[in-house]
Amino acid sequence: MLLKNTYNEFVKILSKPRSYLGIGALTLLIGIIIFAMKVDGNSIVSFVTASFEQTLTFNGKVINGNLITFIILQMLIVHIPLLVALVTGDLISGEAAMGTIRMLATKPISRTQIVLSKFIAGALYTLFLTLWLGLMALGLSHLIFGSGDLIVLNSDGIVILPENDILWRYGAGFAVAFLSLLTVSSLSICLSTFAENSIGPIVATMAIILLFTIIGTLDVTVFDSIKPYLFTTHMASWRSYFEDPVPFASIKQSIIILLVHNVIFICVSIIGFNKKDITS
Amino acid sequence: MKTLFILSLSLLHFGVFCQTSTELLNKVVSKINTVKDYSATAKISANIPMIKILPSQATIYFKQKNKFKVVSKGIVILPKQGFTDLNAFLSNSSKYQSLLGDTSVINSVKTVVITVIPKGDGNDIVLAKLWVDYARSVIMKSQITSATNGSITTTFTYGDKVSFGLPTKMVFEIDVKKFKLPKSVAADINQKKSLTPADTSKKGTITISLSDYAVNQGINDSVFSK
Repeated sequence: MLLKNTYNEFVKILSKPRSYLGIGALTLLIGIIIFAMKVDGNSIVSFVTASFEQTLTFNGKVINGNLITFIILQMLIVHIPLLVALVTGDLISGEAAMGTIRMLATKPISRTQIVLSKFIAGALYTLFLTLWLGLMALGLSHLIFGSGDLIVLNSDGIVILPENDILWRYGAGFAVAFLSLLTVSSLSICLSTFAENSIGPIVATMAIILLFTIIGTLDVTVFDSIKPYLFTTHMASWRSYFEDPVPFASIKQSIIILLVHNVIFICVSIIGFNKKDITS
Repeated sequence: MKTLFILSLSLLHFGVFCQTSTELLNKVVSKINTVKDYSATAKISANIPMIKILPSQATIYFKQKNKFKVVSKGIVILPKQGFTDLNAFLSNSSKYQSLLGDTSVINSVKTVVITVIPKGDGNDIVLAKLWVDYARSVIMKSQITSATNGSITTTFTYGDKVSFGLPTKMVFEIDVKKFKLPKSVAADINQKKSLTPADTSKKGTITISLSDYAVNQGINDSVFSK
């Protein structure tokens, strides 16, 4: 029954025009970034390497598909949560607003299973969005720029990764990025459980992400104790796979914290939905 | 009379050394000029603060007077100065004056120190200090200070191509300015402040091992235009 309902939920997601908004927006943004890099990529890279160019020269194919993919990921990973929340934030509250939630509850399926099926459907949509991002970013940029070594810019230096050591990092990076987006999806569904309209959970999700991100960015000691527990702190963990050596311990910690957030959001949603008054 | 004698002797001494340094440099330059073109395989390893890169391989092409090209599959980091500019600078002896200094031993080779100062303005090279192996007429070490690129020290090791003045190994020691990007540019908002000694160091080395030389075999100009 859970699987059948999950299938129904996924069909519902696919039937909404807003579900394609994210895919369309991603495709357009990736196209714009690739166009910009094709036209003016050298000046962007020069801006990055300018600190060293007084004494050093970087020879070889600096602008390549791997670098473009990294730039795309870095630029878009901040905005994709909005595209995820736009769809998943509506999954329960949308039904409450339309009144279809009562009909849903008449089915021979428990409320817990209803919530779980929505979580799974939301996760599937998030996975599809992440795969689309990966396919477009990696495929299109490699098609246009070709492959090559990757220059990764960190706040305290540059790491140059050889071409044959990059693909697995993207694979692992996309997996962690998916987990980050899944947390956003879970948060928005959780908020959706307590809301009666579609806009509220979407805006609230983005507001929470913004607030946590700002707290994480501020170099103020008062927030140091809570920063490690904010899920936004770990949303950029995909980037750690592009360090040398890879900090597996810190990635593992990030994965655990993101998973714990997901479990908490799901549990809160189940409890909240089981107590929700859907009769009024 | 005694003062005049000492002064005359000093000037004579100074003149002899000036002539000797010019002669030495002419020998070095004429040896370099026997190479019309060359290609070589280069293994490049860089140990530069704030840059992490694995050793890489490239092919280096050179053709007189100043055509130079590095072809590599991946990204390689090279010093901006030190490959061809010193030879180009030394080849025109009217543009500089040289002074002979002390003798010194570099890699168990006896050398003489020659200080080269450019004449007039408009030269990027402000000062060059060369340790010349006078027996083989090759530069064993150079320290070039330029207006735009700071100071680069290069140590040369020679092998079977010493007759052409071509080294088998070059070690560049360069100054790297403190590099710090804002978090927003690096998009690395969670990066913790790193205070390791490597981050505060400003000296870096680039080691280039050259092999498989093909000297004066003729290189098509199209290689340099790609």
